[in-house]
Amino acid sequence: MDDFRLARDLPILFGAFFVLTAAIGVVRFPDLYSRLHASSKLVTLGSAGIFLGVAFALSDAAAFTRLAAVLLFQFLTTPLSAYLIAQAAYLRGLPPILTGGVDEWGALGRADEVAQADREAQRLLAAESGEDEG
Amino acid sequence: MNRPTLVSLLAVVWALLLGDPALRHLAVGLGLGVLIVRLFPGGVGPGATLRRPDLRASLRRGVAWLRLLGFFLRELTVANVQVALLALQSRPRLNPLIVEVPLRLRSEGMLTLLAFTITLMPGTVAMGLSRDRRTLYAHAIGTADAEAARASIVRVESYLLPLETPPSSLSPTGGPA
Repeated sequence: MDDFRLARDLPILFGAFFVLTAAIGVVRFPDLYSRLHASSKLVTLGSAGIFLGVAFALSDAAAFTRLAAVLLFQFLTTPLSAYLIAQAAYLRGLPPILTGGVDEWGALGRADEVAQADREAQRLLAAESGEDEG
Repeated sequence: MNRPTLVSLLAVVWALLLGDPALRHLAVGLGLGVLIVRLFPGGVGPGATLRRPDLRASLRRGVAWLRLLGFFLRELTVANVQVALLALQSRPRLNPLIVEVPLRLRSEGMLTLLAFTITLMPGTVAMGLSRDRRTLYAHAIGTADAEAARASIVRVESYLLPLETPPSSLSPTGGPA
């Protein structure tokens, strides 16, 4: 019944710090796109720390492999959701705050056009490859 | 990803989740993998190119993967410290901008990996691909200017280029995006 176990508590503290800064970043950053930086990067490392600490706290092999799998899926899903949120917001026309310079994409709010172009590109790709799908 | 790779990957994930790499669990995982791949055939890439395994090429690829992993872990740490500092500063200089990056990578898998990696790396979040898959659009904060943001993405790409299989990747793959 020791109060502080280094291997268990240090990673949890480390992770909690980054999750806390993620929350602060989400509140303080000026627009959705900047907030995604905080919520995607910081939460990934933060949860990695917390998972490691929890694995040490449970300290059996199954906990380590399970949490490794959970972390793997965290790494796979977080960037995906950030990508989809950013893209959906942008193509639906949520204006980004860009003090740093120009918007080199220049497709703000053009969801319909892009969807149309995507469908055409898919058709072309399918025709080019000359194979039927499925 | 070809079918055998996908199935064995699913088996490993199954064993990881059970927390027990016993043989029967792996066997059950393999069975589940076959079932899942049969149910969702969209995940299977073009058929495995049945070439004689080239030891030296696999070794090179292994080294390239390790280099990417090391680079990624280092950059992930830097990214977190950077964003944490920006979040905690009283007057952060976010300098947000949207950049376009011309791509040298062609294969779908590598483009996915690039988008994932830059989202977890300092300064950039992937936002979109052009319809011809030749240009990546990314949102950047905390970089000096558009050139710096672009350069950091190009650097990640250069780590991924040696992992792209050169001969077959030029033809469009059948898998859906």
